Amino acid sequence: MNNTIVSYFLQFEEFQTVVTKLSEITGANATSLVAFVIFAVAAVVVLGALATVGGLGTYAERKISADLQMRQGPNRVGPYGILQFLADGVKMIMKEDIVPRHADKLTFNIAPLLCMLGVMATFAVLPFSSGFTMTDLDVGVFYLIGVSSLVGVGIFLGGYSSNSKWSMLGGMRGASQIISYEVPVTLSILAIVLLAGGMSFGTIVSAQGAWPHQWFVLHNPFTFIAFIVLFIGVLAETNRAPFDLPEAESELVSGYHTEFTGMRFGFFALAEYMEVFVVCGVVAALFLGGYNVPFGLGEGTFLMEKLHIPAIHAKGVGQLLQVGSFVSKTLALYYVVIWIRWTLPRLRVDHLMTLCWKYLTPIALFNLVGCALWMFFFHGQSIWQLLGHLGGGHGGGH
Amino acid sequence: MFDQILFILSAVITMGGALAVVFSNNLMHACVYLLASLFGVAGLYATLNADFLAATQLVVYAGGVVILMLFAIMLTGGVQSTVNKFGIVKVPGMGNAKTYSAAGLAAVVISFVLFKILKNAAAMPAKGQMAYESTVEKLGGLLVSDHVLAFELSSILLLGALVGAAVIARPRHIKDDV
Repeated sequence: MNNTIVSYFLQFEEFQTVVTKLSEITGANATSLVAFVIFAVAAVVVLGALATVGGLGTYAERKISADLQMRQGPNRVGPYGILQFLADGVKMIMKEDIVPRHADKLTFNIAPLLCMLGVMATFAVLPFSSGFTMTDLDVGVFYLIGVSSLVGVGIFLGGYSSNSKWSMLGGMRGASQIISYEVPVTLSILAIVLLAGGMSFGTIVSAQGAWPHQWFVLHNPFTFIAFIVLFIGVLAETNRAPFDLPEAESELVSGYHTEFTGMRFGFFALAEYMEVFVVCGVVAALFLGGYNVPFGLGEGTFLMEKLHIPAIHAKGVGQLLQVGSFVSKTLALYYVVIWIRWTLPRLRVDHLMTLCWKYLTPIALFNLVGCALWMFFFHGQSIWQLLGHLGGGHGGGH
Repeated sequence: MFDQILFILSAVITMGGALAVVFSNNLMHACVYLLASLFGVAGLYATLNADFLAATQLVVYAGGVVILMLFAIMLTGGVQSTVNKFGIVKVPGMGNAKTYSAAGLAAVVISFVLFKILKNAAAMPAKGQMAYESTVEKLGGLLVSDHVLAFELSSILLLGALVGAAVIARPRHIKDDV
């Protein structure tokens, strides 16, 4: 059985007694029913939280860009304008829904939904904490790459179905960009899979530690380069500046979603902001130690042994700390993504493809081979462990 | 019961998508339905506990093949009308000897396949609760031990395709004779 949110609850006796009580009341085995309810609640929580994060992403984007350009940014709705995203959402819903007369109705309708579907399906494996992961699939990273490629199909269909030159060009650019950058991204992820010895997020995160020197980003020089390649690649895959060519407003009006109005456009925007959160979370989990918390606080051993707090509370506190660790790393990366957008100018199309195929892909391949050699020669020890051995050897000699 | 619900859902998506592909007049729509059908197939793999295969199905077909097909359809323009500018039907009519023989051959092959599947299904004992186990390690081990020849051959084939694509797409520098 996979490690899921249900298996986290199953380890406690209190939970078991609830299940047996329910079984007595209903007269049937209530295990699957309880599992279903837990999954449903967790799904609603994750979806609601991440949709809010996506909405707040638009607010953060405007506020941070205002900061970088010495402006005020939104400051009218709510304290510091923080409710601006709700006002924007209401505006989106109340707008007239226009479908161009010569648009391809079916694909026009499903394109925003495909984008949303591709992003939402990735939530299933996003490792918020060791317990609060919807399901820790054995092929977690691979699954994530697979379902997130649906976003590319959605963008392409959105561009094609609008029956407009700008949309068409934007959609073509979007699809070609996404499938091109999937190559260096996958190769960099593969380097980490090689180090961790597994494709599930649980394996990858638990192979790292809580402190920066135990993270994969500082494991060896190759992983550091892989981190940078992956970060550039996911910027391109989420169509963020400097790679926002699919919606280059100076040349393509607004790219693939030119003809979309109201909530259809809102879906594209929301999907983009949620995808940025997801890919930042993936980078944090793969390279920055994910949800690890120091001193065994995450597993609850510290609280249980030193303060004698019951297991269910100690582990609950640990899970909250883990979620905090994961989310703060992810949001720090989110800030960097927005920062880059308002700092760097947009690339040209041919430069974009050159960067991907002539620079990032060979570098990622080189990295993969480098990581494999490192694993072979140093038996998976990090550069700090090797330095420690060196220092220890000297100390022993004296 | 949960397994069965998932199986029925996946099967309905697969079959419905496949039928919609066949009966759709619009090539672009057919491609979208094909995506749904391939997704259903991934779901079928998942219900059979083949998690790696399901994820591969998503990566290869949803991410690669369908986008490639969409590109091909878009760049070639698809079939706008079945009649060319002289009023002659471009798509040959169905129902001549060629189509009948092709359909007959296809029917024979499919009936053999169906027969084989049904024969096994009838003989198969009632399935109990299948134990979940990871397939990734086993697949990896088999790929570099028993099936290393197939693995290497397919990687050489893919490398050849990559080089070929690069050669075809390379800009040709025309020599200046002057």
